[in-house]
Amino acid sequence: MTSRIALCLIALVAATLIHLGVSSPLPLAQKWALATSVAPDLFEEVRFYHSVLPRLAMALLAGAALGLSGAIMQEATQNRLASPMTLGVSAGARVGLYAATVFVPGLAAAYGEWFALAGASATMALVLAIAGRQGIGGLPIVLAGMALNLLLSAVAVTLIIMNEFYVRHLFVWGAGDLTQIDWQGVSWLWPRLLIALPFALLLSRPLTLLRLGEQGASARGVPILQVLGLALLVALWLTANVVAIVGVIGFIGLIAPNIARMASARSTLDRLLSSIALGAALMVGTDAIALYGSNFTADMIPSGATAALVGAPALIWLAARQMKARDHLRFFLPKGRERMPMPALGLLALLAAALVASSFAVAVTGEGWRVEWPSELVFALRWPRIAAAAAAGVAMAIAGVVLQRLIRNPLASPDIMGMTSGASLALVASSILVGGSIHDASAGIAVLGSAAVLGLLILFGRRTDYAPGIMALAGISLAALLDAIVQFVLARGGEEAFAIVGWMSGSTYRVQADEALFLVLGAAGFLAIGLLARRPLTLVIAGDTLAGSRGLSVPLARLGMLVFSATITAAVTSVMGPIAFVGLISPHLASLLGARRAADQLFAAALIGMSLLTVSDWLGRSLLYPAQLPAGTIAAIIGGSYFVLLLARRPRT
Amino acid sequence: MLAFSRRAVLVALLVMATPTFAQTTITDSRGTQTFAEIPQRVIALSWAVVEQLVELDVPLLAVADPDGYGLWVVQPALEPGVENVGRRDEPNVERIAELKPDLIVISDDQAELAPVLERIAPVIHFTLFSLDHDNAEATRTSYLELARLFDREDLARERLAGLDAHLGALRGKVERHFGGDLPKVTAISLMDQARVRVHGGNSTSEAALLALGLDPAFPQPATTWGFVQKRVEQLGPVEEGIILNIEPFRAADQLFPSPLWQAMPFVREHRFAGVRPSWTFGGAFSIGYLAEAFTEALLTIDP
Repeated sequence: MTSRIALCLIALVAATLIHLGVSSPLPLAQKWALATSVAPDLFEEVRFYHSVLPRLAMALLAGAALGLSGAIMQEATQNRLASPMTLGVSAGARVGLYAATVFVPGLAAAYGEWFALAGASATMALVLAIAGRQGIGGLPIVLAGMALNLLLSAVAVTLIIMNEFYVRHLFVWGAGDLTQIDWQGVSWLWPRLLIALPFALLLSRPLTLLRLGEQGASARGVPILQVLGLALLVALWLTANVVAIVGVIGFIGLIAPNIARMASARSTLDRLLSSIALGAALMVGTDAIALYGSNFTADMIPSGATAALVGAPALIWLAARQMKARDHLRFFLPKGRERMPMPALGLLALLAAALVASSFAVAVTGEGWRVEWPSELVFALRWPRIAAAAAAGVAMAIAGVVLQRLIRNPLASPDIMGMTSGASLALVASSILVGGSIHDASAGIAVLGSAAVLGLLILFGRRTDYAPGIMALAGISLAALLDAIVQFVLARGGEEAFAIVGWMSGSTYRVQADEALFLVLGAAGFLAIGLLARRPLTLVIAGDTLAGSRGLSVPLARLGMLVFSATITAAVTSVMGPIAFVGLISPHLASLLGARRAADQLFAAALIGMSLLTVSDWLGRSLLYPAQLPAGTIAAIIGGSYFVLLLARRPRT
Repeated sequence: MLAFSRRAVLVALLVMATPTFAQTTITDSRGTQTFAEIPQRVIALSWAVVEQLVELDVPLLAVADPDGYGLWVVQPALEPGVENVGRRDEPNVERIAELKPDLIVISDDQAELAPVLERIAPVIHFTLFSLDHDNAEATRTSYLELARLFDREDLARERLAGLDAHLGALRGKVERHFGGDLPKVTAISLMDQARVRVHGGNSTSEAALLALGLDPAFPQPATTWGFVQKRVEQLGPVEEGIILNIEPFRAADQLFPSPLWQAMPFVREHRFAGVRPSWTFGGAFSIGYLAEAFTEALLTIDP
């Protein structure tokens, strides 16, 4: 044990020395003197004592807290993928703070950490409710966390758009930055973290016993629920305090405990302590990269962005090393009707058509509500938006049906698997590198991005027969990578940064007639292809052996489905920006209505997706008239909330 | 009968009022456009062009986010009763169509809205903020183009001459205050206790300072919008010259008493002052308003 801890400490000292070297030009001896005895006088000395040192201390504290928080979560859930980021807890803390800043600014300034804790706890509770007992140790809890991440970021975007100028600067803060101007932040944070430490250490023994399994643990007198509850509370407290003071910094809490484990730290206490040291070392190291990078740009680089740039590839590498090809996940659908009668499908079609028609005819105008068929001009302005929303709904629903069948997991969807992120990443990157507006970036670039993700998914998937775990992890990493790059852009401020935020919320506002037509034709084509492929879509969920015995080449079918859904995602993203949740909940609702056979599910999901996005677009145009909210954000909030309700009320198996 | 005669009088008045206006060809960022009549129902969607139209005394039918304009731009003030057509980045095109404008003026990032807006009315788009030109120069060019369209070139030249005279007078004030030995000055906008926007090359602020004869104290490369975002501590190396912070600044209570801020050479040596809220992304006249505010602030600093 001692040698391993020593190794972690050496890493920590090395990172600290590098950080000290990068962050200030003063010679090391002078730094030592300033840190210990000499009173600072020159600006560079004052800066070292009141900015560089507190920043280093903050990096150490935040890294240690995130490392410990992640380690506790992983021990409690016995899931190596658990962390404040992957469970959506950091995002929850951030939204808690955002909401407080908007609605009760006075309280938010004084009691930020409690709002962060409330947001984090609510998110944690939801994630646990969604994943259920069986899901805690596996992928379901991570997928639930990812879904909540998406929902919460939609809420954050709405808060920002509704309060345009006021909250905008929060976005930079949201990027997670360790900049300090005095010792106040550090002296605020350390006692709050220290309180948690004895609890964490005391918990290490009961947490060890949890590994024996529920029965084993309760046989030895471990009160399982109390231990779990206390452990998670400690982890949440650590995360919420860090988020309250430096914003969201991902990956540290995920990577540190995993490295600790790979360094074969055997006892729980050992792992907790190593995670503290490694978390601090990682945070200090990535912050040194951010500081070093800032030397080469006129603008500042937020620490959270470099943490994600380093962490995302690390997660993929980790996943590829650690994950087995085993597929723990069963394809389960919520209980509902067993079959969908034809008239019901007809009714659904009628409903979708009625919604589209009323979306044309009912509108707020300068003179109040109007119900009339629009004039030629208004029609020309309105139809591309409605058509694009409806078609994008159809297309994303089809992509969702295909992916959920392919991955055999009801939580799979283009947004959670990273396909949307891949397309967005390519568009955002091209807009930054080539310059110019993100709205002008071409569909080809989005296809490239989606294809790159696809390549990645295939690369990892081939070795493991496209095991769901790898797919989802790659998706999560990509989403985080995208987030990092977007954060970096936002830290530069300026109009183009906010144009990108606007685009990321998935709006029909800028859809042109030709793009809308492209999307409508595309959606029709995708539906036709999906219907033609209904046999492989049916067989692929029956299990590999059965599908193989029926003459289906499973790897080939899976590859085809991946290509198909990536194409759909790229087409939609290039026109409308990323659209979340439609691809996730439409297939669900369809099967809830009894549409379980492949063809039925495709049809019903397409109609539901169409209705959902049409209504979202209409609400977006009406709610804040004459200002508008993006359809994608509203769809994410409606879809996300429904999804959370659905899963929380799902019968336990 | 009465109505008819009133209309006849109005028509006659209109004809008399615009005796010389035949056809005007305007050059905007996308080429040339010919107008047969002076536009009467004008909607402006970016605050920079709103400023120019207000400074031409052109009555505006609607603008994007007038509340935000009142909060951030402040000067020149909008006439009361100007309609709101939504956010600047996504103005409500259906509402715009309802208002039946005969001209829509937009700028910069709004270029991509032009194809849609052109279905409603003729669109003029100016690129005011760009790395390829001097932003301050571009706003004068666009102002004169708009003046030609509204047949108010004399007024425009008069206003610009007035602006230049005003800037000259402000410059004289600054020179008298500093006794001919002019300091270097850079304007910043503190965002929060840790982050700051430095207004550098191609910014409205720097143009205003140069008009006062003041070179930058903390020179920054030219950018499209004229600012770079930095950490507050990066202001430390500004050894000489004055730093002006454009308000509002919400975190003053946290930043200003801190040892780091107090150790900044320009704070120690009292070469720092706050500037009343002024719009930093405007046109030629914003340069005037900024220069005014800067002068006020500079006069509080001992030479």
